Amino acid sequence: MSHHFLEIKDLCYTYPDGTEALKGLSFRLEHGEAVGVVGANGAGKSTMLLALAGLVIPSGGSVNVGGTLLSKSTLGEIRRRLGFLFQDPEDQLFMPTVFDDVAFGPLNQGLSAREVSERVMDALNGVGAGRLADRPTHRLSGGEKRAVAIATVLSMLPDILVMDEPSSGLDPRGRRLLIGLLKNFTHTRMVATHDLDMVLELCPRTIVLHEGTLVADGPTANIFEDMDLLERCHLEPPLCMQGKCP
Amino acid sequence: MHMADALLSPAVGGTMWAVTAGLTAYSARKLQNSPDESRVPLMGVLGAFIFAAQMINFSIPATGSSGHLGGGMILAILLGPYAAFLVLASVLIVQALFFADGGLLALGCNIFNMAFFPCFFAYPFIYRKMAGNRPSQKKILVAATLSAVIALQLGAFSVVLETVASGISELPFATFLLLMQPIHLAIGLVEGLVTAAVVSFVWKARPEVLQSAAQNAPLGGISLRKVLVGLGAAAVITGGALSWFASSYPDGLEWSMARTAGTEELETPQEGIHGALAALQEKLAFLPDYGFRTAPEAEAQQVEAEESANQWPAVDPGTTVSGLVGGGLTLILAGMIGIVLRRVSSSRS
Amino acid sequence: MPQIPSFSAMTPGSSRADRLDPRAKWIVTFAFVVAVSSFGKYEVSRITPLFLYPVAIMAVSGVPVRSLLGKTLLALPFILFVGLFNPFFDREVLLNLWGYSITGGWVSFFSITLRSLLAVSSAVLLVMTTPFDRLCLGLEKLRVPRILVTQLNFLHRYMFLLRDETQRMVRAHHLRSRGNKPKIALSTAGSMIGLLLLRALDRATRIHGAMLVRGFDGEVRLLRPLCFSCSRDGAFILCWMFFFLLARFVNLPVWLYGWMVGK
Repeated sequence: MSHHFLEIKDLCYTYPDGTEALKGLSFRLEHGEAVGVVGANGAGKSTMLLALAGLVIPSGGSVNVGGTLLSKSTLGEIRRRLGFLFQDPEDQLFMPTVFDDVAFGPLNQGLSAREVSERVMDALNGVGAGRLADRPTHRLSGGEKRAVAIATVLSMLPDILVMDEPSSGLDPRGRRLLIGLLKNFTHTRMVATHDLDMVLELCPRTIVLHEGTLVADGPTANIFEDMDLLERCHLEPPLCMQGKCP
Repeated sequence: MHMADALLSPAVGGTMWAVTAGLTAYSARKLQNSPDESRVPLMGVLGAFIFAAQMINFSIPATGSSGHLGGGMILAILLGPYAAFLVLASVLIVQALFFADGGLLALGCNIFNMAFFPCFFAYPFIYRKMAGNRPSQKKILVAATLSAVIALQLGAFSVVLETVASGISELPFATFLLLMQPIHLAIGLVEGLVTAAVVSFVWKARPEVLQSAAQNAPLGGISLRKVLVGLGAAAVITGGALSWFASSYPDGLEWSMARTAGTEELETPQEGIHGALAALQEKLAFLPDYGFRTAPEAEAQQVEAEESANQWPAVDPGTTVSGLVGGGLTLILAGMIGIVLRRVSSSRS
Repeated sequence: MPQIPSFSAMTPGSSRADRLDPRAKWIVTFAFVVAVSSFGKYEVSRITPLFLYPVAIMAVSGVPVRSLLGKTLLALPFILFVGLFNPFFDREVLLNLWGYSITGGWVSFFSITLRSLLAVSSAVLLVMTTPFDRLCLGLEKLRVPRILVTQLNFLHRYMFLLRDETQRMVRAHHLRSRGNKPKIALSTAGSMIGLLLLRALDRATRIHGAMLVRGFDGEVRLLRPLCFSCSRDGAFILCWMFFFLLARFVNLPVWLYGWMVGK
């Protein structure tokens, strides 16, 4: 019986200016699952992730991570279990050197110096960035930034990985490296992205959001073959399924 | 408006360093007492913002010249006095290191001149009083302009005092003052206008930013009396320190000549407190003709008036040459040592 | 548009200058600047021995002469502008050299020039031979308030990014303006800066969020030991301090001349 599940029930969020971003989302993620979250711009993907991170307070509904309900008092605990990768790695790499950034989480967790060093080098080696440990963070290439950002999350040994547009801005090689990396992860993971081809490769299950509501939840292949659904949600099938030059 | 190391004496530089160090420690302690973890990234990014914003060179109407934002007032408005002071200090430190703007010794002066006045004087006593918590466009404009003008005038005046007190630049007090103040009046006006433009922009686009800034930036602890007392104390300390270091004040024609020519070491004239203060006073006096210093006039300014009356540079060419040639030889020697070291270190690595 | 010099592009390598404890570097650089400033205003030849310091550091650390000179000379124009008033105001003739009378004003101007070269080059070298985060660590160990050190690190981290953003904005403006060197009007500058500010505030919020989800509680922790080696760092400080004092109180150039002529 695994504790690494993530369950959202009737999640609602309204922006201060009155826009309803999330209108009652519900789904459940089991241990080891890899789920893709797709939707047009403004569908609510990023808002949902922010709500999971506790960075916006939902106006309704609940978030349950492994039996712990998300609330002000459980924020610390939830954030220990969920590893977040945000859209712009520049926002995530705020320490002077790569080592400092990857060590940030473990140091906040109160680990000893030796444990922190071990975690950092394990995480960096896991993403293939071991040689970058002493590099200043502002002098990394796009792909390196992305890899190091992942390492900053991995070093905290999260149960569940939540990623927002991990492949955006990457060149083809960087993207390929990222996909290879993510394929090897055994974490429960949720990837919100426009890169439908990556979802096809990595996630057996896909959730589709449209205007703040969950309109589909099922096997990825089925979803991407449902042309009506995709069109309704302002999406297209992945490029590799389009069978012609787009 | 940056002070440079080359124009600064260690006495003045050291005193201002002490003052700035005190202000920094004070601000840091104040911030520690009211912890706010969102402040760390905010201060960092706003510091980077000031840097970036200073790269926008705009044309100043009716002059044809260009200017850029200083940023002190904007930071004070957004962050409150203590955090803004530290952010400005960090910007000046990076400027000194990366741009070679000012210098390490002059950093104490520069932080005081450019961060103290906007954060601890203009912001609490001018801007806040005028614009308050519910500013209107007009109030913002007037308050920002007045604050910027006054902060810059005070800063420029400090530069003049520090330069004159150091005694390395020959600019007489009056001339320097008449050069600096009007220029910085214009700069202050522009700074005020740009600050007002930016604050208005933010106020229209995201008023909550300014509201929360005003709420989160309490002015607790800053009273006019404290500031004036602090400034008065700084003046007393500065004056005392300068007179203590009076022996480094260059004086006497023949003494200077000998130094230039490189002759034997002369005893530094021990003038004591009175002599130094008298000399300083004379320098600060307003001279009607802006004082071109030629031999007879210099005599009038010297404390040891009579000694220099008959001095005329009758320098022994021999001693002059030894100094100058020795200087050239030294440079060559230094260069040679450098080449040798370079060879040695590159062969080792 | 003033460029932030890309000092960080010069990767401090593993030269001997880089392995020094940053505290030692700060102390010696500061002492150097004080020594340079402590000379009287008419001193010229007596300052020359101090050139050994930047030359030696440059030689040992591998900093190219051209970069050092280039960056040093950038700072000079303003200082020289103020310094140029000296010959104007100080016209008492100090020396007669081979028939030319040289006034005190020119002597002090030359002295100012030398001091500037020395002071500026020492600061430039400090930055070029030490990674910035090590410099900040050195400051922290020298008891500079933590909050200021953290601020310096953050500022340094993001200043290049925001600089690039600004450059793009200015370039976009120029591409839509007429003329070879378009000028930005005051009102336009206000909105540009305002926009930059809003973006910066948004970024700060996002960074804060990223910090929170990694357990940030208000204290920025660094795992950075510094080891002060008495032999290496202590020797560095003592030797240079001794040299600075020597240069300050003994007239080395004249001594050198006397030694060479006496041979």
